[in-house]
Amino acid sequence: MSTPAPAPPMIAVSDLVISYGGYVAVKGISFEVRRGEHITLLGPSGCGKTTTLRSIAGLERPTGGSIILDGTPVFSAEHRINVPAERRGVSMVFQSYAIWPHMTVFENVAYGLRVRGIPQKEIETKTHQALQLVQLHDAADRPASKLSGGQQQRVALGRAIAFSPAVVLFDEPLSNLDAKLRASMRLELKELQQRLGVSSVYVTHDQEEALAISDRVIVMNDGRIEQIGTPDEIYNQPVSGFVADFVGSANLLSGTIVGSGAQNGFVMFQLATGPRLTARYAGAASGTATTIAVRTALIDIRRGLGHRDDRNALEGRVRRRLFHGDFIEYLIDCQGNRVIVRRPPTEIVTEGEAVTVLFSAEHTILLDR
Amino acid sequence: MKFELLASAAVALVCVGLIVYPLFFLLAESINVGDPQTFPPTDIGLDNFADLSLGVTVLLNTGYVAITATVMAVAAGFVLAWILTRTNVPAAAFLERFLEIPFYLTPLVGALAWSILAAPKSGFLNQILRGIGVPDLLDIYTPFGIAWVMALFEGTVAFVMISTVMKSMDPSLEESSRVTGAGKLRTVFKITVPLVLPGLLGATVFVFAEMLGSFAAALVLGLPGRFFVVTTAIWQYTLSYPPEYGKASALGVALFGVMFVTLSFYRWMVRRGTFATISGKAFQPRPIDVGPARYGLAAICWLYVFVAVVLPIAALLLTSFLRFATVIVDQMSFTLQNYKTAFTLDAVRSALINSLALGVGVATIGVFVMAILVWIIYRGRLPGRAAIEYVVMFPQSVPRLVFGLALLTAWLNIPIPLYGTLWVLAIAYFTVLMPLGVRTLSGVVLQIDKSLEECAQVCGATWAHRMKTITLPLLRPGLVAAWLLIFIASVREIGVSIYLMGPNSKVIAPAIVSSWSSAGTELTAAMAMIQTAAMLAAVVLLLRVAGKYVKGV
Repeated sequence: MSTPAPAPPMIAVSDLVISYGGYVAVKGISFEVRRGEHITLLGPSGCGKTTTLRSIAGLERPTGGSIILDGTPVFSAEHRINVPAERRGVSMVFQSYAIWPHMTVFENVAYGLRVRGIPQKEIETKTHQALQLVQLHDAADRPASKLSGGQQQRVALGRAIAFSPAVVLFDEPLSNLDAKLRASMRLELKELQQRLGVSSVYVTHDQEEALAISDRVIVMNDGRIEQIGTPDEIYNQPVSGFVADFVGSANLLSGTIVGSGAQNGFVMFQLATGPRLTARYAGAASGTATTIAVRTALIDIRRGLGHRDDRNALEGRVRRRLFHGDFIEYLIDCQGNRVIVRRPPTEIVTEGEAVTVLFSAEHTILLDR
Repeated sequence: MKFELLASAAVALVCVGLIVYPLFFLLAESINVGDPQTFPPTDIGLDNFADLSLGVTVLLNTGYVAITATVMAVAAGFVLAWILTRTNVPAAAFLERFLEIPFYLTPLVGALAWSILAAPKSGFLNQILRGIGVPDLLDIYTPFGIAWVMALFEGTVAFVMISTVMKSMDPSLEESSRVTGAGKLRTVFKITVPLVLPGLLGATVFVFAEMLGSFAAALVLGLPGRFFVVTTAIWQYTLSYPPEYGKASALGVALFGVMFVTLSFYRWMVRRGTFATISGKAFQPRPIDVGPARYGLAAICWLYVFVAVVLPIAALLLTSFLRFATVIVDQMSFTLQNYKTAFTLDAVRSALINSLALGVGVATIGVFVMAILVWIIYRGRLPGRAAIEYVVMFPQSVPRLVFGLALLTAWLNIPIPLYGTLWVLAIAYFTVLMPLGVRTLSGVVLQIDKSLEECAQVCGATWAHRMKTITLPLLRPGLVAAWLLIFIASVREIGVSIYLMGPNSKVIAPAIVSSWSSAGTELTAAMAMIQTAAMLAAVVLLLRVAGKYVKGV
């Protein structure tokens, strides 16, 4: 987990509003990116994450708020500042890769250096360094239009880091790759980020990717920020039904708080269908909270009814079993609730069997909203 | 930023003005019932519309010719498109290129060639038929003859449109029918035809509108027998003494109205959901294996090529080298005199030079200005971009001859003495060719992913540097293609030229028409060959550039 650095943040976004005519894409969001931090904007398509990223790059003109890069305001609605993209000094990897088809791999990567009027010798050294980093050294002289998807991705990456920018922006850079390649590129990206020590903002709708490569994740929905936190916080302490449902896979069960309120951070919660559970009280949750979330992977199944320990228990019958390979998904009818449970493929329960599901109060999260 | 907006607004204003200004004059003239020379008109009324003496006959003639030509063009286009996109006919790609050539030959040249081939008695085909004992079978100087030439040389667009529709149909739609248990034939009637039908209907409506505004074939083949369609009637009104500009304009406005409605109907059809299954994506349709029948189908295509390309060009070429047009071998007397005359006779030579100069000039300046227009419409920040696009594309729905008349009225009534100079022709060409240039260039611009430019910007490149290193190099093939297309369209232009050329500013297409009616067939054939050669050279270049472009990106 990262600790706040004393220096000013690398990127500070405050009250950012972006609208097109009557449509408001981003509805006043604020966040900071610390030096060397890798932050991810995560959300479904149309949530405003790409628009936010593009306004940091200077490709989109916001309607309100401000953006400060390394202490220098690059956009401010109040002070009528809008520094054009080419003078912001950030770098960006585009979703479409945006590889220039009329240039070689080398020329693509060297572009940012040439633009800066750097001596030829240095351009060559730095370009080769960048090509080496993205493992494309052998392809330097190939026309960029004749590359595979994965190679194009590497060229885009090499080009983005070649001129040693302090900030690199990533716009869903892996979304056009197949699943296997995506997984390996994810690992490479993470290593590259650490090696270069740049700050980065990464946009994706893939929650696995977001959790895997970020220091902190910002979950966005409908132009607003739902939650900011470390991947661990986002996964284990979602504040809203949206976050719990969008990140990972969770059961959302509705009901009401009963009893005398919070004790040691736990409350008694009665499901709308009757059973009572102990739920973790995240702190901010109001007394009127109506939903709890339980991760599908954090639920145990016991064959037969009547199993009890210190955990929450519900009884039911297995309705469907879906074999997924890495896990098995069970659909269980539990006293009027439909509960989804994911278990390792070593534990096999058959369809129609009566079962008890058990999950600890620690993993039963009372949601803010 | 301010400068950018200002410059954009200026360019847009000038281009919109060039289009709106003449149309305003056309409308004004059509309701002018007083002295045709006074402007603005003092006596206003609808008499011109009521008093169209050529009246009903002209309407019936136009209807007959346009419908006949449309039916022939669409039927031929459908059959050819189906053969080339859906069957495994040999050398399909090669054939497809050949089938587009008639369009570049132009209806004027086509009409001349077919008049040489099938004029009563003297026509080459009639001479040959008489030789084998079938006298006077063919007569191209008939309404059907006009429709025939129009279908062959203007109907190419039907073939292009229909094959585009067939190419963009997802083959899995047919395959799923086959898998579900329907046979080949059932699939064709239950799936292919219904899916292609909206596209076919669209092509029919579009071609019909084109045929309504068609001029050259009816001029060459209809005028001698005083058979008038709307366009030639407009021309006739303006030729009479004194010229009846009011009536001509009224007829022009009426034709423009009908064509506008027809084309609006076409656009409405295209926009409607009926094309939902036809995506913009190009598929690789799986051709049906038709077995040995493919040689028969290929023969149909080659027959079309023979009738629309080989025969006309051969007839013109032969005639252009003869002292006297004939196909009787022992009467032939070959000569280069026709070409010598064409290159030395002052009227003809200046027309040739003017046309080429106009082609080069309009294409060069046009591509530059139209590129800016395209940038304003598709990438700029000027308000009202959609309206600008609409106006810029507007000349498409105005029959060329009517636009020529509008420009004539407009430029006669302007205090700047431009009329009768090449300048007015240049401005006119630029105006009517704007839709062609803008459409071609926008196709290229829209193909270039916006992020290619954005990425350069994020890399730190200024606007000028981005233009130099990214935008222009990527646009170059498209710019060259647009240049060639505008050049071709300028050199073949007739509808506007025929109104705007003066004694000192002759151009080739109207010169061919007047040579046809006053000088000999042989000289005219030589002139037509020279025009055709210039255009075909440009076409060959165009195909090379386009081919490279497709491979490059």
